[in-house]
Amino acid sequence: MDWAGWALFGLVATAVLTAVMIAAQLMGWTRLDLPLMLGTLVTEDPDHARVFGFFIHLAIGEGFALGYAAAFALLGIATWWLGALFGLVHVGLALTVLVPLLPGVHPRMASDRAGPASVAVLEPPGLLGLNYGARTPLVAIVSHVAFGLALGLLLKAR
Amino acid sequence: MPTTTRRPIGDYGLIGDTRTAALVSSDGSIDWMCVPRFDGDPIFGRLVGGSTAGFFRAGPARPKRVMRRRYRAGTATLETTWETDGAWLTLIEGMVAELEGRLLPTTILVRRLIAEGGPADAVIEFDPRLGQARAAPRVEKRGRVVTCSWGTLAAALTTSPRFPLEAGRPVRVTVQPGSPLTMVFAVANREPLVYVDPISAWSLLQIDEQRWGAWSQEIDADLPFRDAVVRSLLTLRLLTYSPSGAPVAAPTTSLPEQLGGIRNWDYRFSWPRDASIGIGAFLGVGKHREARSFLAWLLHASRVDRPRLPVLLTLYGKHPRHERTFDDWPGYAESRPVRVGNGAADQHQLDTYGWVLDAAWLLTRDGHRLYSETWRAVAGFADRVARRWREADAGIWEIRDEPKQHVHSKLMAWLALDRALRIADTRRCSARRCEHWRTEREAIADEVRSRGFDPETGCYTRSYGSDDLDSAVLVLPFIGIEPLDSPRVRATIDAIARELDAGGPLLYRYPPGRDGLPGTEGAFVPCAFWLVQALAQTGRITEATDRLDALVQLATPLGLYAEELDPTSGAHLGNYPQALTHAAFVRAALTLRDNTRHSPDEPGSSPAQTLDFNGMT
Repeated sequence: MDWAGWALFGLVATAVLTAVMIAAQLMGWTRLDLPLMLGTLVTEDPDHARVFGFFIHLAIGEGFALGYAAAFALLGIATWWLGALFGLVHVGLALTVLVPLLPGVHPRMASDRAGPASVAVLEPPGLLGLNYGARTPLVAIVSHVAFGLALGLLLKAR
Repeated sequence: MPTTTRRPIGDYGLIGDTRTAALVSSDGSIDWMCVPRFDGDPIFGRLVGGSTAGFFRAGPARPKRVMRRRYRAGTATLETTWETDGAWLTLIEGMVAELEGRLLPTTILVRRLIAEGGPADAVIEFDPRLGQARAAPRVEKRGRVVTCSWGTLAAALTTSPRFPLEAGRPVRVTVQPGSPLTMVFAVANREPLVYVDPISAWSLLQIDEQRWGAWSQEIDADLPFRDAVVRSLLTLRLLTYSPSGAPVAAPTTSLPEQLGGIRNWDYRFSWPRDASIGIGAFLGVGKHREARSFLAWLLHASRVDRPRLPVLLTLYGKHPRHERTFDDWPGYAESRPVRVGNGAADQHQLDTYGWVLDAAWLLTRDGHRLYSETWRAVAGFADRVARRWREADAGIWEIRDEPKQHVHSKLMAWLALDRALRIADTRRCSARRCEHWRTEREAIADEVRSRGFDPETGCYTRSYGSDDLDSAVLVLPFIGIEPLDSPRVRATIDAIARELDAGGPLLYRYPPGRDGLPGTEGAFVPCAFWLVQALAQTGRITEATDRLDALVQLATPLGLYAEELDPTSGAHLGNYPQALTHAAFVRAALTLRDNTRHSPDEPGSSPAQTLDFNGMT
């Protein structure tokens, strides 16, 4: 297990994933904004939330990178294509399991059952994050494949 | 097959849970309800889909006179009482809005029949059909629950006491005094059905009723026409989709603007314009959370399009699917086609920016600090207006014709830049950017004063070079481009009131039929409220009060308004109930309240000089 590689490249891969998502937002492809979604766990102000959310996202990214690094170590191989494959599995889980579960734990995210007393400020993402735009699943797939690809490439190089 | 007599649009009452809504006729028939959301497929669609499109009736066994029909004061619970043979039969119904934290289905409709003065014969007709195909469900009886399923969508009807109910077949029942008959209709989409005991559901409805009552109590006690205003605010809230905060323009599609005509549109979407007007309405009565929620939705929903503001969006801020027609649906009063989707989504409507920026200004002025992100978005909208105001657009009336240089759009562009400059005074904004906005604002003023004004009549016109008038130009006294005592303002108000008069307090939005479509349409109700506002704002309080009083009388007996009214028969036309009309009514009442405080009709006093368009204070 390459601990130093995991520690550094996990951050790099998460930064790559974030960059892809921000670029997609700027291009008007999606309203999915992971730093905002995570940061609003802490504060309502979107600008401050993005800062908090960025660091929370880095931490979560490190967590996932640990899984990738462990899987590479177990298989005894780290390649870009295996990383991309892990990315596909990762995004599949994220879109079908993790993101739809968010309204259940996020204090500022409404659910499809929200009523007039709801003080939530974020709309629920819905299945595959489709509430945030029709191209959201595509953006999520590309960004997560980039995450896995970066990890596979960087860990292979060591 | 059940037969039906077409009911007037104004005969329907609205019940809802802020996720979807149902329209109930005075004979107790739910003839319109979409699931699981306002913009879902109709499960009861008889209103426009014909007799095989589903309905759910609970009422007297034979046609009886309605003794009383009302909402319970300050709530969303509807009560209808019929006189039956020597007794009274009352239907109390509503939907449960608050579910969070409890194991309940997302949609719960509760209906209770009670008899007083003796046994009353009633009939229950439960015939759900889904979507364009009017698909009959797979029906199963599970104990006292009748379940209907269509793939991943399922609905259950439970009654207490139990009786042999069958989907698609009328069932007669005698309701005894002291033994109410309670029915619960629950819907689940892509999740397991949760059976709700009718007695528990009734308790939930009562708790909801208390919540709505408390919500209504908070509304300013000094409002003119307070009861009617509260009903409008409740309607606006019922038409706000709670999971995203999106205001839906109306819960219906294709209720016609002319009986038998083709002006039948789908309004189950959100217009940023309506959201902005709603912000003014809710802020004016102290409902700050609702106002902020509208702006939050607006900014979140428009994120992928910025700095462009889409004309309309789905409840989750997506672009609507292409407009299509249900060719096999007969439509309301044979008004075809029945449309789903809205083709106006692709139009360029410059005025939208003005409404949104004014709403942002109102919140700022009321002490709500805009987040930096909000300000960046708002400034981006202003930049776009400064860049594109010279272009022709479709205008507020969404004319499906060649774009024109609409005077109202230019006025609203001026308003957008003016409000951006006001907000800029409270935020960091580069001097260069502000100067650009200022220069363009003055350029708009110069152009609209020269090209949008007819010196012969002394009033502003509908578009450059046109002789037509446009009721939307009644915004003139609010935006600040002209002084309130300007002869141009007064002449324009008077000309619109005279030339577009539809009888009584009603106005046409533009000369009838001048929109490139065959046929004509009714009087556009929001315009009548805008005239009230214009009169009140320019100090003509008595005229404004008289007109508002007359307009209140034109509401349905339940205090609801459609988009339009037939000037001859007084019948409500168009999608119903309509959020824009209710918001315009609230704002008219607020303008009257705020200007009456200045008593402008009294000698020596002057109209309120503080100009706020959406807030009308």
